[in-house]
Order: sequence, then C-alpha cells, then structure tokens
Amino acid sequence: MNDIAIRFDQVSKRYRLRRGWHFSSIGEAIGRIRRRVRPAQGTSPEFFWALRDVNLQIRKGESVGLIGSNGAGKSTALKILSRVTVPTKGTFSAVGKIGALIEVGAGFHFDLTGRENVFLNGAIMGMSRAEVEAKFDRIVAFAEIEQFIDTPIKYYSSGMAVRLGFAVAAHINPDILVVDEVLAVGDASFQAKCLNKLAELRELDKTIILVSHNMSNIVQHCDRVIWLDHGKIRAQGDPETIVEQYLQEVQPRSASTGAGPALDADAPIRIVSVAVRNHRDEVGQPVVYGARACVEVEYAVEGPISDPVIGVTFENVNGHALGGLTTRLAGFKLEVTQPRGVARLVLDPVIFTRGMYKISVAALDERIQRFYDFRSQAATFSVDGPSLATREVSGHVVYPHHWEGDGGHKE
Amino acid sequence: MNPIRELVQYSYLILSFARRDIRARYKQTALGAAWAVLQPLSLMIVFTLVFDKVARIPTDGTPYPLFSFSALIFWSFFSTSMSQGTFAMTSNSNLVRKIYFPRETLLLAVMLSASLDLAIACAMLGVLLVLYGSTISWTVLWVPLLLGLQVLFTLALICFTSAVHVYFRDIGHALSLGLQLWMFATPVAYPMSVVPQSVRSWYLLNPMAPIIDGYRRAILYGQPPDLPRLGIVLLFVTALLFLTYFGFKRAERTFADVI
Repeated sequence: MNDIAIRFDQVSKRYRLRRGWHFSSIGEAIGRIRRRVRPAQGTSPEFFWALRDVNLQIRKGESVGLIGSNGAGKSTALKILSRVTVPTKGTFSAVGKIGALIEVGAGFHFDLTGRENVFLNGAIMGMSRAEVEAKFDRIVAFAEIEQFIDTPIKYYSSGMAVRLGFAVAAHINPDILVVDEVLAVGDASFQAKCLNKLAELRELDKTIILVSHNMSNIVQHCDRVIWLDHGKIRAQGDPETIVEQYLQEVQPRSASTGAGPALDADAPIRIVSVAVRNHRDEVGQPVVYGARACVEVEYAVEGPISDPVIGVTFENVNGHALGGLTTRLAGFKLEVTQPRGVARLVLDPVIFTRGMYKISVAALDERIQRFYDFRSQAATFSVDGPSLATREVSGHVVYPHHWEGDGGHKE
Repeated sequence: MNPIRELVQYSYLILSFARRDIRARYKQTALGAAWAVLQPLSLMIVFTLVFDKVARIPTDGTPYPLFSFSALIFWSFFSTSMSQGTFAMTSNSNLVRKIYFPRETLLLAVMLSASLDLAIACAMLGVLLVLYGSTISWTVLWVPLLLGLQVLFTLALICFTSAVHVYFRDIGHALSLGLQLWMFATPVAYPMSVVPQSVRSWYLLNPMAPIIDGYRRAILYGQPPDLPRLGIVLLFVTALLFLTYFGFKRAERTFADVI
C-alpha cells in the first residue's frame, strides 16, 4: 500500500453556476446570504458537480492519462491534483512533491527579462535559489532562447515565452508531474524534446498524469488511461482499449451519411452517401491494415455537367488532413449520363496505423476549383493495424517500404 | 504541512515576488525610485500649505514640514501596503488560478516591497532632519519596534481584505475612501494634543493613532511612545492576526474557484 502516490477518495467538487460570488451589488450578496440560512440542497440548479464520488489510486512511477470530452471534469481533477483547489467532499492525498505543467508561464511577468522570469517562475514552483542557479543554463538551452535571455518577455514571440515556461517547469524535478496539453507547445523538434523529457522522467520512476486531446500521445506515453465522463470515471485500464472505447463513443461510427442538402442547391452533382467497406465488404466494421478496403461514394447527377471530379480526404480524429485523393489523379472519369452513380476509391492495401479516421468527400468541377458539394467528416472508420503503443511506428501512415544497408539484414 | 515551516521553505518565493513587484514598478519610469519619495513629499507640501499656513496647527515648536513628513512616510507605508495587499490575490489571479503556493507569500511580498519605499523615504527624512538642524535622541530606537507592530497590524488587515476582495470587489472601492478618512482620524497632519480630551478615549481605539504618534515622539521629541497604550494595541493586533490569518488560510483553499 505504500507505493500509492495519489489517492482520490470519494472526491466530489461542486461549483456555483453563477461564477463564484461576483454579485453586482452588496444588496444581492445580502440576499444570497439570507437565502443560505435555509440550506440549499446539493442538487439545486445553482450548483454544478464537476466531479462526483471519484475514487482513484495511482501508484508511484505510474504514468496515467486522463481523457474525456470538454466539461468531463479533467481540469477540475487537475486542479485538485496540483493542489490549486480542494474537493468539496471526499479526500485527496498525494505523497511527494507535485509539479504541474498547466498553462506554463502563468507566473511570467511581462516587464521582466527572461532571466528574471526564470528565477521568479522557479521560485513559484517551489525551487530554491541555489536550485534555479544550478539548472539555469540547462533551462535556457532547453528553451533555445540563449540570445534573448536578457530581453523583457513582452518582446518575445508567444512561442518563445511558452518554451521558456515549459523549460522551467520541466526542470522542477517533482515526484509527481501533472501535464496538461503542453505537448502541443512549439515546433516539432521542441515537441520531440518535451517527449524525451517525459520519457526521461518515466525512467526515473516519477509519477506522471497526462491530460491531452491527442490520443496518440496518450497511447504512447501512458500505462493506464482513465476516462472521465460527466464528473465520474467511466472506464479505466489499458490505454488502447479505453481510447478506442472513448473514440467510438464521442465519434459514433456513422458509416454513411444520409442525403442532405447540397452545398450549392443548383449544383449539377450532389453526394448522396459515403460508406467504408472492409475486405469482407462489411460497412461499420474495422478495416484491416494490409488488406483491401474501399470508400464508396454514391452521387446524384441533377443537371448537365462535364467531367466532374470527386475528392476524398482522410483525416485523423482531431480533424487534421492526412491526405486527399481525387478521381482526376487516377485518371478516372465519372459516369454522369445516369441520375445516380457510384465511385469507389479502393485502397489495396490499407496502410493506416491502428486508430480512428474520418473521411470528407467533395464533388468538384472539372478544374477542381469549385465545390459543387462537400460533406465534412461524412464517414468514420477504425483501423486494425500496427499500434502506436508499441512505439515501433508513429503517425498515421505506414508507407510501403523496406530497409537496406551494408551488412544489415532482416531478423 | 505546518504553515510556519512551509513559510520558511517559501521564503525565497517571498523575496522573488517582492523583487518582481519592485522591478516591475519602476521599469519604464524615468524617475524610478524617486517616486517612493515624491508621494509623501508632495503631501507634505500640500499639508504645509493647508495646515500650517492656513489652519495654523500647533506643532510644539517643530517646523511643520518636518512634523508632517515624519508621520507621512509611515502612513504612506501603511496605505501602500494596505492597497497593494488588498489587491494582492486578484492582481495575481493568473497565478492563483493555476499554481499552488501558500497565498500569504503574496501578502508578505507586498510588505517587503513597500518597505523598500519606506527605507528610501526614511533616508529622505534623515536629510530633512539634518537640514532643520534637529538632534536625534536614543529614543529613535523605538522606531523598529513601532514598525514591527505596524507591520503585524497591516498583515492582520490585509489577510482579511485580500481574501474578501476575491469574493467582493466592493472592498477595493471602499478601501481608497476608507484610507483617506482613516488618515484624518490619525495624528498625521496634526498633533494628538489638538484632539479634545472628551473624545480622546474613542480616538485612541484607532491602533494607528498611538503608533503614528509614537514615531513622532521617538524621532522628533526624544520621548518614548505611549507604552501602556501600545501594549493594548499589541494584544489586540496579535489576536486579530491569529483570527484573520487562519480565516485567510481557510478561504485560500478555494480562491482558485472564485477569483
């Protein structure tokens, strides 16, 4: 039992819906106080339970991801974790020094120089002067702002300020590190550095709580995932399983779209439905890496038209485009003499990594300039394939490839 | 954790906050730290015109500028730390909302940064004393003790006002008005001797009255302060500080939810 680092015991947190006690007048306040004489019930509409009876134990050295949609209670849980606030009911306890990477740079003063802010921020996070001095060079090097260290922060670009904030926070050397979405900071090489730092802390057996909307980061860096939903723990366990359950719920597998109004009401072509079929021709079932799959786009021709183009874009769950293909690229001409037609984009083989993906479909004119119709995220599908959790692949696509080298050989 | 031990651990943070406040206050100002003297100095000039030249307030033989300045610098220390202390939580709401640290460090930092201004003003007072050819007696040694009492009193008050300000911004508006009225209820512009005997006992309920009067006695008149009276003030202030500090520590836990 001694290796428990964090314990939530029946933790509930209640907020007033009218933000705090900001009355427009003293009179209103007196009214409120008078009403408090009759004790308000917890279920009164004046209150909102951000967390409800949460029981949670995190072992020392464990790396735990918190996921959930906005308003699920993640931020409240983080606030309690970082000791910024206390539970309304229940108890929270933690063993060891807690460091929080929550909105890094919150302690910056914009009139002070980078150097002054490093010392100030270090002090706010509980470091001693000697500690900051010892780590100062490493912090500045980590933030990559050596040149500007004696410039007031107000002249920094926002990226520089955030990098400096992260650099200080990353060097506080806590026993428990709470990380909120900061991995989205800076450019790709800085992010890689941050991930290295996280891996380094994991190796040092630090307890890490990671909150992110980036599910690949969660899967790659957590031993366990906790899914919060409406202030309660909905599910917890193996990262891949929980993330998948979560994604399936928040993005219901709409295998196809029904007919809706077209983007342009007078357009001569309209998209009727979009469906993803796996190698067994099933809709709504996972697509398998390495096997065949197709995206079936049904369209309606509603006027004279010459050589329209259909485009399909693949997106990850965050809506970032991974790549788009058009009928024109493959030299495929659509059949437009009939009122209805079908175009199938065949992927053979499927090269996506394991996870959820979305598809947006467009119908365009012959010059691929004008949109006749556009269906954003018309379909969603999941892929059964190489998992990011193994860290042997990253990103979303496994390109057709092999490795060669002098003296190297395949296992 | 024991709050006192925690405070010792966070002493570097208090220093850092104070340094931040001081640096930020005088960055991009042409006059810099001169502003620390300008405020009591300009009040001294106004008071000299109004209370000396017009109202002819008695000062027991001391030149009026010296008489008022010796009280004004300590009153400025009080009013500056009161107003900055009251706003200490709300003006650092970014921090309070995001990061855990004992919130009273912000209050102690306010006291610290305000005492730098006081130190500068004290140097100015020294110059004035020399200019007016005053002699300084050993009673000036009472000043640090009076200052300690004043700091405790101010802390007790800002523990309360800063916590209340998180919930009710009204107190910010009330404060500047209150401080102005309070100054005239304290022997800053006039000596205690002009206060009629009939209201004296009421008048002395104001803890700042014997404190400010004490500075003047110790610096200008070579007399010890009103010790029995200050003993009562010390008891009162200690009790008040206990009360407001523990109230503050209780309220502190949910500042982040409300601020």
